[in-house]
Amino acid sequence: MTLFDLRIPDAVIDVTVWVLVLFGALLCLTAAIGLLRFRDVPTRLHAATKPQVLGLLVICIAIALSQRSVIGIVLGVVLVIPVLLMQFATAPLSAHMVGRQAYRNGTIDRRSLVVDELADSTETPPAAGG
Amino acid sequence: MNPLLLVIMIVFGIAAILTVVRIAIGPSILDRAVASDVLLTEVICVLGAEMAINHHTRTLPVLLIVAAVGVFGSISVARYVARRDNTTP
Repeated sequence: MTLFDLRIPDAVIDVTVWVLVLFGALLCLTAAIGLLRFRDVPTRLHAATKPQVLGLLVICIAIALSQRSVIGIVLGVVLVIPVLLMQFATAPLSAHMVGRQAYRNGTIDRRSLVVDELADSTETPPAAGG
Repeated sequence: MNPLLLVIMIVFGIAAILTVVRIAIGPSILDRAVASDVLLTEVICVLGAEMAINHHTRTLPVLLIVAAVGVFGSISVARYVARRDNTTP
């Protein structure tokens, strides 16, 4: 009997998967509440990017764990890693684009800014798309 | 039905409803873009939770495609949204 034939007890896996999925669902709810309660686009981006990606990470761990055996868990990790990498790569990208456009569009609360490093550059840089 | 499953479904449902409310009332188009991005990620989370609960991996390709393509929505909205003014400081 090698390591790969080892089976983890079903009850342990079940409880862990339920708890992880519940935690991911609560993180989704956190993102939605933040989206509803924050006041302008850059603060809403906080809610949109951070809890969502952490919730997806937790749920992907749950997918990998729900494959029961050790070889199944390894295969599950290999399968969910592309999804996570894709999300980790694209969430900051879209947040950056939306936040920059929100600054130029004037949909932010300028009085709440502590440091405004973009205020000096009054002209749009070339190839900025604005 | 497992009561924990019911709790998970209710939590996901409330999160989706709150996000749709933000899409409906969002003052600017960028708010709606951000909220629809959140809604798309929540669809990914629901599909993943269903896989984890039912112990299969059949919808993983769907997850991968949605995670890869979903970013283009908010990027293209942010790219082509009209600037309100670019002359006044």
